[in-house]
Amino acid sequence: MFGTSTPRAMHRFRMALVTLGLLASALPAHAVPSFARQTGQDCVACHVGGFGPQLTPYGIKFKLGGYTDSDGKAGHIPLSAMLVQSYTQTSKDQSADPAKGFSKNDNLSLQEISMFVAGRFSDNIGAFVQVTHAEPDRKTTLDNADLRIVKNMQIADKDTVLGISINNNPTVQDAFNTVPAWRFPYMSSELAVGSAASPLIDGALAQQVIGVSAYGFYDNHWYAELGGYNSLSKRILDDINIAPGDKIKGTSPYWRLAYFEDQRKQAYSFGIFGMDAHLLPGWTPGQTDKYRDIGIDGSYQFLGTREHVFALNGSYINERRNLDASFGAGDAEKRHGSINRLDVSGSYHFDKTYGATLALFDIRGSRDNGLYNSGEQDVGSVKASPNTRGYTVQGDWTPFGKEDSWGNGWANLRLGLQYTGYTKFNGAKNNYDGFGRNASDNNTLFAFAWFAI
Amino acid sequence: MKNLKISALLAGWMLAALPTAHAAGDAVRGAKAFDEECAECHSLKEGKNKKGPSLNAILGRKSASIADFNYSDAMRAYNQAWTAQAIDAYIKAPKKAVPGGKMKYEGLADDGARQDIIAFLSSQH
Ligand code: HEC
Repeated sequence: MFGTSTPRAMHRFRMALVTLGLLASALPAHAVPSFARQTGQDCVACHVGGFGPQLTPYGIKFKLGGYTDSDGKAGHIPLSAMLVQSYTQTSKDQSADPAKGFSKNDNLSLQEISMFVAGRFSDNIGAFVQVTHAEPDRKTTLDNADLRIVKNMQIADKDTVLGISINNNPTVQDAFNTVPAWRFPYMSSELAVGSAASPLIDGALAQQVIGVSAYGFYDNHWYAELGGYNSLSKRILDDINIAPGDKIKGTSPYWRLAYFEDQRKQAYSFGIFGMDAHLLPGWTPGQTDKYRDIGIDGSYQFLGTREHVFALNGSYINERRNLDASFGAGDAEKRHGSINRLDVSGSYHFDKTYGATLALFDIRGSRDNGLYNSGEQDVGSVKASPNTRGYTVQGDWTPFGKEDSWGNGWANLRLGLQYTGYTKFNGAKNNYDGFGRNASDNNTLFAFAWFAI
Repeated sequence: MKNLKISALLAGWMLAALPTAHAAGDAVRGAKAFDEECAECHSLKEGKNKKGPSLNAILGRKSASIADFNYSDAMRAYNQAWTAQAIDAYIKAPKKAVPGGKMKYEGLADDGARQDIIAFLSSQH
């Protein structure tokens, strides 16, 4: 859209920036280019392809350092803003409008306007807090939030960071782009058909909870974290415009171990993570549904001179469930079950500007008529199965964010074109919902323009 | 006769070139190594500081001399000119050369790569 350097295109681009500024000031809160301004670093130092949230080794250390690193100068304001305009097209129309005010297909959407408080407050305190207004649900909500308190020290002569993260989404605190909150795709349609299920740790509790975890990052290699999550009260959820899901009974433990190696020309990581949760469906006191999620993950990056950057990320999550509550209430057919999810993605970026990513996903779980065979068009499963498989390909262009970029530290834009194809959806290739819908009917073309200042 | 002259010229040229190429490193390889190891934190442009200070015209420059860069106390106290030897020792083992400094870099063990980087830096002013 803004690729041509004609005066008109430039003018339109400036207009877009001005509009973005106006929109930003109209919202109650105001960060992520603010990280670049705070540190004096270019976006490309921390982000593969010069745009969030895919982190380089440098970015991983910045995050684990609690967003506190800076150029040592005063006067940085930890505020940023973001806007995403998108277009979604599915192979076949959906049977009903995906959200109020949208059509069964071909939807243009002002997907997100976000304000961030992102940056350091002192040598030991930093934050990344996002407030988002989303057009599809017409609400302004508290989005991902991560407040950190850190202490840098030497243990056995090695650099060590000890930290606490207070956050509202299990895995949002993670720095490796392999676990759910920050896994590819980093931007996706909110108006396409979603599959029946995924493990709990894959976003089911996002924004509904508050967690505190303590972590240590030793010698730039070993990462260990242990934390616990509780549901936010209904009153707070109402205040921040988040619909209450199920209530966590007690505290849900979350844990993570990883090894990381940064050799500058290349880097890799591998680890394990997990969470246990006892949930009260619909906040009804009594029996609970119990989930135990365990995952393994790994990543590799070839960085070289940063002209050609390759990254490979993968994770596999196993969930075992014991649904005493849902089984008792007749909502689940079986008491016991499991679901597994595999995600692998590979990306290539040229000149910190042009990116291509291919990702594969594979969800497999035990059948359950109560959970999955809802009898609904598009989203139900006549096979009573959550099994969904497919791929996502994305090409993107990120013109700014480099040392010599125009408006460096302020102007940020990524234009992307993404296609998601399904070879299986909710248990079948053809007629998965019993109303004649095929997996490939959900194939989604998604185009986005993502701005940040 | 003509051939002999050319050979002599070539030989002289090679003799002159060889020692520099070996002792002082290769600036072309150095540019690549600089991008791999240093560019994230250092710009070569005058006045452009990133996590580290601009390395424009660094050879011979006095340490901690960029006015608007926030050096560590250790670097301010170091107080030397950045000769090729001083840079070599620093980027081989930053924590040893300037204890308490804030360059978060593990050090480059490869002698040849350090020489290449220094050759490259000496061409940047
Ligand atoms: C992680 C960021 C980082 C990397 C990578 C890095 N540096 Fe630095 N560098 C710094 C910082 C920060 C300082 C300031 C140190 C201080 O004040 O103690 C510095 C200081 C220096 C200085 C002293 C400059 C002056 O004005 O006195 C030199 C020379 C230098 N670095 C060279 C290099 C070279 C060559 C490389 C690559 C082999 C490199 N650095 C890699 C961050 C980095």
